[in-house]
Amino acid sequence: MPPVAQSDVARSIVDLVFLKLADIGPQLNTVDTASYVPKLASSWTFEDPRTLVFTLNTQARWHDGMPVTAADVVFSFAVYRDTLVASPARPRLSRIDSVTARDASTVAFHFAKQYPEQLFDAVYHLWIIPEHLLDTVPRTAFVSHPFGRAPIGSGPYRFANWVAGQSLELQGDPDFVGGRPGIRRVIWRFAGSPDAALSQLLSGEADLFRYLTPEAQQQVEEDEDLTRVPYLSSTIYNYMVFNLRRADDVNRPHPLFADVRLRRAITMGVDREAIVRAVDGPAGATAGGPLSPAYWISGDDHVQLPFDSAGARRALGELGWHDSDGDGILDRSGTMLSFGITLPVTSTQRRRMAIIAQEQLRRLGIDVRLVEVDFGTFLEQADAGAFDVLFGSYGGDPSPSAIAEVWSEAAIGGYNYGRYANPAFDRAVTHAIDATDLASARAFWAEALGIINEDAAAIWLSASVPLAGVHRRLQNVTIRGDNATATLPEWTVPTAAMITRDQAAP
Amino acid sequence: MIRYVGARLLHAVGIVFLVATITFVLLQLAPGDPLTRVAESTLISRDVIEQQRRNFGLDRPVVVQYGLYLGNLVRGDLGYSFREHRPAWHAIRDRIGNTVLLAAAGLTIMFALGIAAGAWQGAHPGSRGDTAISVLTLTVYSTPVFWLGVVFVLVFAEGLQWLPATGATDPVTYGQLSALGRAWDRLTHLALPAITLGLAGAATTARFQRAAMLDVVSQDYIRTARAKGLPERAVLVRHALRTALLPTVTLFGLAFPVLLSGTVLVETVFSWPGMGKLTVDAIEARDYAVVTGTAILAAILVVVGNLLADVLYHLVDPRTREASVA
Repeated sequence: MPPVAQSDVARSIVDLVFLKLADIGPQLNTVDTASYVPKLASSWTFEDPRTLVFTLNTQARWHDGMPVTAADVVFSFAVYRDTLVASPARPRLSRIDSVTARDASTVAFHFAKQYPEQLFDAVYHLWIIPEHLLDTVPRTAFVSHPFGRAPIGSGPYRFANWVAGQSLELQGDPDFVGGRPGIRRVIWRFAGSPDAALSQLLSGEADLFRYLTPEAQQQVEEDEDLTRVPYLSSTIYNYMVFNLRRADDVNRPHPLFADVRLRRAITMGVDREAIVRAVDGPAGATAGGPLSPAYWISGDDHVQLPFDSAGARRALGELGWHDSDGDGILDRSGTMLSFGITLPVTSTQRRRMAIIAQEQLRRLGIDVRLVEVDFGTFLEQADAGAFDVLFGSYGGDPSPSAIAEVWSEAAIGGYNYGRYANPAFDRAVTHAIDATDLASARAFWAEALGIINEDAAAIWLSASVPLAGVHRRLQNVTIRGDNATATLPEWTVPTAAMITRDQAAP
Repeated sequence: MIRYVGARLLHAVGIVFLVATITFVLLQLAPGDPLTRVAESTLISRDVIEQQRRNFGLDRPVVVQYGLYLGNLVRGDLGYSFREHRPAWHAIRDRIGNTVLLAAAGLTIMFALGIAAGAWQGAHPGSRGDTAISVLTLTVYSTPVFWLGVVFVLVFAEGLQWLPATGATDPVTYGQLSALGRAWDRLTHLALPAITLGLAGAATTARFQRAAMLDVVSQDYIRTARAKGLPERAVLVRHALRTALLPTVTLFGLAFPVLLSGTVLVETVFSWPGMGKLTVDAIEARDYAVVTGTAILAAILVVVGNLLADVLYHLVDPRTREASVA
């Protein structure tokens, strides 16, 4: 069910069965309005700076044959915004005051103010759902309604069947307004683990595997039937965040990391590029702060504190940390420079990065323990602030406004696990989000990122663009950073390259 | 006999209640809840998660949740699966057949192969074949079942591409196959997980069977049978093996819970859509209703398996039958 879809897979499937009014371009640039692609809307225009009017494609039909109308858009917005539905997208629509239907094929979005991401907010999270099939569903029942297991959308693929725990099949809609997709059947096979999924690809049972580890990249390269396809972008970055509050009492400052000078020294002591290249491979990219590659500001010149082990050693000495007892670990007033990095045991990438960071810091005389916990415990400790350093990962919106949700003071108690707070940073972020023009938004983002990098709130590591494993017979394959199958309706298999399963009739 | 079975069934109700309660308590003690599993991503804001908690009743006191859970259980309602967005029973119902099929195939391989190998060893003690099989069974016995599964996938699925690596059917072609084609598709998908599951158990069975056979072939009545001039095959199969099967039958009852826990690993390695994989996924997702539901069902299956073993023992051992009649 689109309003309550949460997992990556659920959102990928929803995206093929349902349409948005328009979709973001392949580079996920939220402010490049020219790159947006028409979907249910054939065109759109700003009637005034706060009113965005969409004209729907009158040929668009639900899979049951009913026309898609402006009333469906108004209904969809109402459902997404209803607190009882608990849609993950609801907070993203908070800057839209209302949505009104002008006639059956014209709909207007009214914004509280003008800002660069108005088009993004109006379309990115809002899959249009059929009013005539869902208007009687109680709002608290959306998550459990049977429609979610046999949905009727207006997208390029129709839902065909779902064998629980095994597979889900979609079939290309021959009557789709944009033309029947090149690949007639798409089947998701649910594997028990990433290794089992990779086995399906390597044994020829599957054609696409979304995320290849460096080891898997090697295996795919050696298989003549397969090829590696780099994502066009990525919405993911990971980081080791310092806890500025005590692990056992969030109301008191952390004995080590409340001091910005120590955070800066440790950050300078970690060779982030070496870590990222060692784990993600030669194409690995290091984040220039809390930035995913998809952010439209990520190409700007944002840099963290440089790697400088001599400088780090000097700074530690200036702070009074010396190896007074010759045990290889720095100490001050009888206290060793020692802390833990908490990470989820399920993340191989983070584990490998943490091990290398541990060794780099050991060379500086810092004792680092790796605290590996299961995912539930990891989140519980993150929420409670019960850690020294937390190895987190962000993977969400392509909009830089998401920075506020992780690093602003208002996010303490939410996703700002390290409890970083700097009013100057918050001010700059707010100005960047509210800016009416791109140039001033860019300048405010540069100011905000400069502040948080100077404050060394965290050590930002991988912002690498992942690789997918794909069967060579698939043509025209591009992988979008936020959704691996977003462009699937454009993929094809040439007749000459078809194998047995391509010829299996739906 | 009927009174005995009745008492055992009553006993089973108590066990099921205990399992239901312990599982519920353990899940409450475990960190997180069904909605925190997805919460590392900032796509979902905290107030939305809180609303989802309210929608599912997870904001109520634990005692209230426990009361509702037990009340629903008595009415045969296992609760709602947060992960699958449907009643937990429906999720379990869709998988139980696959687990029973896998366990039955594994059990068949386990006993057929184990009894045959062990009986042959017992009849030919000290031979080269006996030594070779002993080394083989010890090796398989010492090998972790998931490792065996991974090796089979590497060799037979990825390398030779003789058999499929994962799943219970081929979702691409299954719908278009004839009845015979579907049966073959199921069999090829079943082969690797069933052999993996069965082999580990077969090694244990073979060692049991060998010891039992050795014990029996030295008995006087076997010597008498040979002295009467019966063919060696008849002596071994009709007289020795029949008696030597008794300890193996008791193994059946013990094998059932072991086999069920084995299916958890095998189903995960082979993505076999059964209860084991469902349970692992549900534990990871803190999907309370499914975890407690599968635990209860596993408890029932173990109790029934043990009961069946007792009844089987009763049927194959004339002495227990006579005692029962007396």
